[in-house]
Amino acid sequence: MDFRPLTETERKHLITALRGNAQDGLAVLMDRQTTSFLGTAEEVPDEEVINAIRSVPCHY
Amino acid sequence: MRPTRSPTPRPALHLSQRNIQARTLVCRNGPAGYLAITLRELLRELVRAAGRRSVGRLESPAAAGAAPVGLAPLRRVVLADEVSRALFAEFTAHRSSDRGGEETGWALLGLRRADEAVALATLPAGTARDADEAHVKFNSAAQAFASRVVRQGHRQLALLGVVHTHPGSLRHPSTGDFRGDIEWVTNLRGGEGVFGIGTADAEPRPDAGISWQPAPNVQCFGELCLSWYVLGKRDRNYRPLPVGLTIGPDLAAPLRPVWDELEAHAERLDRLARQLSRVKFEVAAGREKAALTLTVPLPEEGRSVRVELEGKDVRYRLLTPDGALAADLREDRVDVGVFLMLSELAAR
Repeated sequence: MDFRPLTETERKHLITALRGNAQDGLAVLMDRQTTSFLGTAEEVPDEEVINAIRSVPCHY
Repeated sequence: MRPTRSPTPRPALHLSQRNIQARTLVCRNGPAGYLAITLRELLRELVRAAGRRSVGRLESPAAAGAAPVGLAPLRRVVLADEVSRALFAEFTAHRSSDRGGEETGWALLGLRRADEAVALATLPAGTARDADEAHVKFNSAAQAFASRVVRQGHRQLALLGVVHTHPGSLRHPSTGDFRGDIEWVTNLRGGEGVFGIGTADAEPRPDAGISWQPAPNVQCFGELCLSWYVLGKRDRNYRPLPVGLTIGPDLAAPLRPVWDELEAHAERLDRLARQLSRVKFEVAAGREKAALTLTVPLPEEGRSVRVELEGKDVRYRLLTPDGALAADLREDRVDVGVFLMLSELAAR
């Protein structure tokens, strides 16, 4: 395992990913073999899309 | 402390050094002792202040129009070529239908990138839409379920906005549209929505079969026009949005042959999608036409419950490694039928 400290860029990336997970429900990707942080999937939660569609107003 | 306002002549705007720390803005005529800033700087400071005020609020992303870091105001919309073809083709088909005098429309799914939206799927208003020559309300239940199906393999798709048609020649959203849209765009990524207006008022060109753009935000093809706009939650009016094309799919096109089935069963299918996390929806060949199918995997390897929706038929099957077994079950309510099947199998 690699226990080196994160670089500044990696640290910011991880913080952004964790914030996205906590606030927007975005997935945080993990390496299957090493469990290391792989980034984020720019997934959009179902609820966000469904709620937006169901609230489309009448158009004139 | 509120900003003070001086009468004319219009004073220069100054930011008090002392009040910077107190985070208040003052407006003075006399510049002595004060730091002058430009109007742009003042606006930037106000935006920052607004951001600070909102930090402590815990709102849902949808309610807040929250978006991943890095989203800028939309500067253009890019349509996949199949999306553009679908819009023009279905607008043409709609006009020649027995409901051709009504308004119609589509919801647009796609990618919301830094300052552009890429439309990759169109969800039609549906036959169960509420519409006449002056309004259209989409069948949102069907569109919501359709979005689940489309997004099964494309989880990054978001709702970008909507397109709707005007029977006349108004190539701009109406004031009635604005009243609803300005509230609704807070539900969209970046707090902005893409809006297309379809009209049939173009002068067809002699080089028929080729589209043209009389303005950066207008596409014309034959007598049909699509005019594109963007509206942000703080905007006072729609802004023209330049439109472009790229080679790409309409990811919702495979659903068109089963849209009637989708509309007929949307609410119950959506309920199943929420209750059963591993349920999968597909379009497959049916007996006479395409069928909308759903598959619920069972714990046993290679076994699943499958339902085929074709026209008014609802067929239930048990799929096993040895083949498919037809279930003697006549239940039009698809969610009820699935749970009857699961109950029967659990009892064995």
